[in-house]
Amino acid sequence: MLQKTQDLERGVPEETVNAGTASRGTMFSFLSPAVITLAVIGIAPLVFAIWTSMRDYNLTRLQRTPFVGLENYATVLTDSVFWDAMGRTFLLLILALPVQIAAGLGIALILHRPGLTFLKTIARLSLVIPMATTYAVVGLLGQIMFNLKYGVVNQLLGFVGIAPVNWLGHPTNAFAAIVFWDVWQWTPFCALVLLAGLTTVPGEIEEAARLETKSWWTVLRYVQLPFLIPGLTAVLILRTADTLKQFDMVFTMTRGGPGSSTELISLLIQRVGFRAFDQGLASAQAMILLVITIVLSRLYIRFFYREV
Amino acid sequence: MSMKSTIKGLMGGAALALALSPVTAFAWSLEEAAEPYAGTTVDVVFLLRPGYEAAKKMLPEFEEKTGIKVNVTDMPYENALGEQVRDFVAGGDFDIALVDLVWIGNFAENEWIVPAEKFINDPALADPDLDLDDFFPLVLDAFGSWGGTLYGLPFDNYSGLLFYNSCMLEEAGFDGPPQTWTELKDEYGPALTKDGKYAFALQSKRNETQSADSFARVLWPFGGSFLDDEFRSNLMSEESQAGLKFRQDLMQYMPEGIVAYDHAEAVNALAQGDVAMITEWSSFYSTLKNPDTSTIGDCLAVAPEPEGPAGRKPALGGFSLAVASQADENEQAAAWLFIQWITSKENAAEYLELGGVPARQSVYEMEGVAEKYDFVPALVESWQEGVPEFRPRFAEWPEITEIVQEWGTKMMLGEVSTEEGAKEIGDRMEAVLEEAGYYDGEKPLVQ
Repeated sequence: MLQKTQDLERGVPEETVNAGTASRGTMFSFLSPAVITLAVIGIAPLVFAIWTSMRDYNLTRLQRTPFVGLENYATVLTDSVFWDAMGRTFLLLILALPVQIAAGLGIALILHRPGLTFLKTIARLSLVIPMATTYAVVGLLGQIMFNLKYGVVNQLLGFVGIAPVNWLGHPTNAFAAIVFWDVWQWTPFCALVLLAGLTTVPGEIEEAARLETKSWWTVLRYVQLPFLIPGLTAVLILRTADTLKQFDMVFTMTRGGPGSSTELISLLIQRVGFRAFDQGLASAQAMILLVITIVLSRLYIRFFYREV
Repeated sequence: MSMKSTIKGLMGGAALALALSPVTAFAWSLEEAAEPYAGTTVDVVFLLRPGYEAAKKMLPEFEEKTGIKVNVTDMPYENALGEQVRDFVAGGDFDIALVDLVWIGNFAENEWIVPAEKFINDPALADPDLDLDDFFPLVLDAFGSWGGTLYGLPFDNYSGLLFYNSCMLEEAGFDGPPQTWTELKDEYGPALTKDGKYAFALQSKRNETQSADSFARVLWPFGGSFLDDEFRSNLMSEESQAGLKFRQDLMQYMPEGIVAYDHAEAVNALAQGDVAMITEWSSFYSTLKNPDTSTIGDCLAVAPEPEGPAGRKPALGGFSLAVASQADENEQAAAWLFIQWITSKENAAEYLELGGVPARQSVYEMEGVAEKYDFVPALVESWQEGVPEFRPRFAEWPEITEIVQEWGTKMMLGEVSTEEGAKEIGDRMEAVLEEAGYYDGEKPLVQ
């Protein structure tokens, strides 16, 4: 009633208001495809995964899938292999994300400066290329480029007198290679998001700030950064989620090896679920990963987004 | 019932069925047998390997003769098990199962494949010239049968062989390949590892290659094994440890990063003259011989794998083709006709010529074959001395191989000692076997 009164006060014709409130059926019919699709491709598999995670559910022993309660969860939580994989995943995040944000911010600030319009357009377009490259292809390229004997990376190092590095056959080097590749692929994403954030800074405020100080850091810290916080939060959430489910690139490049040195959590889940066929255990691992992702996202929003 | 007696029984049954049938042996023809199934399509998985390319070249002839369409799905080895398991669980399209010898227990126990006797005893479908006795007995037993029942016919057949660069060996003063693993390490290793070249490459990537080509390869010749008679881990035994320690020692004569080497890398290392010797599957002969893919040309030579203290016991691997249970009756019949045809005595020579490795004894006895294909004498010798359970073939192998791959690689990287790694594998392997019911008598101790 209050809404209707307000609408009438604003001069909205009564017919329109009626049409808006009376067409629940229309609203449902517009919403239902999305809701049904989400239910089918999102909710139903999730419920099935929860159900599977509480069973001894192995694809090669489907005659026998007894209910085991939380046993799979207990196995996962006490399994050093799971926590090692989780540790490697977070290590990748901790090593790659700050570099991506710092480099992305640097690129964004350069592109935000006035002048050189044509070159900046070219640069912006070029930034899309790594992101647009299929993850699996990036991994395959990495496999070739980091090849000990024939790879272009070692060839380039050779030009400056550095001996060939055994990138993919050495645990630490292989991990460094996937960090490098992740930074290469996702720095442009950070740059574009932060560039978009910089364009939201009102021109007159930025101009006034520059008249007040010559320090670029002061302008960045007190004028531009507040406008970048929403973008940074989005970057943090998206990149964290992406890293936690990072699979294609690493799978095609190292398959988690050598040893377990690049076996991230998603590769472990795939290995358990689709190579050892223990879908029950793999589902439990996936559910725990989901909970960790949700908790991290909430933390990001709580500690970063609130400052805006 | 033993495998041999089962196969003999099947052969007797087939002969009797043919004798009693109004369709006499000489009257049987593929064209007539296939007539009721013309227009049927059968789906099968093929790998990206030379034997499958050979079979694909032969397919048009089969399709023309029978009117049966063979729909091939190509995929790398690593995907083949998962794809097929998902297809069989979901009641999908595959009418023919491509069965690695370590998958046969899994496929048979889940009843995803049909015992071959159904077709062998059907005179309308059984080729009178099928001649199961012509297959190498070890290969037919290991690749095609489980629990005394024959399911598949050997199709893509491997034995581990020693491929070597005879020119490099001659230059280093050797007039032949090493006869024993110890000789390979102690004499050939130091002499051939120099100037950026290495004596040996043992492909050890963390996938089935680590389990089959690397880990198991050093267990058996030294007298070790995965399991003892009670199905408990045998990896802590003196013999198994000797083999695993030998591998650690041998690594000093292998290229850096050998744990990242899969088949392609090992074959390429020999093909480019970077290493002097590799132990690889017989099926890679055509790749190494082909001047488009190999630079060593006439320097390529082949020998059986070296012997260990317990004998040669070379790596054994390969695939059979079996009829999938999920196929309908017509598809099953059409599938059998294809399997029988592609693995037949009649086609073995052509299959060999096109780059495949048939398991028919008769083809290797043909005049000129041993001279034309350098690998034949070594292969025939290896198939006399192989171990069917080189890798256990039970349904639990997919879980166990993952454990072996992980800890086997950690051993090679020096992250754990051979004792620590063997203990981890043993404990985890026994846990899998216990859960499967081997220790409470629920399942027979068959591997």
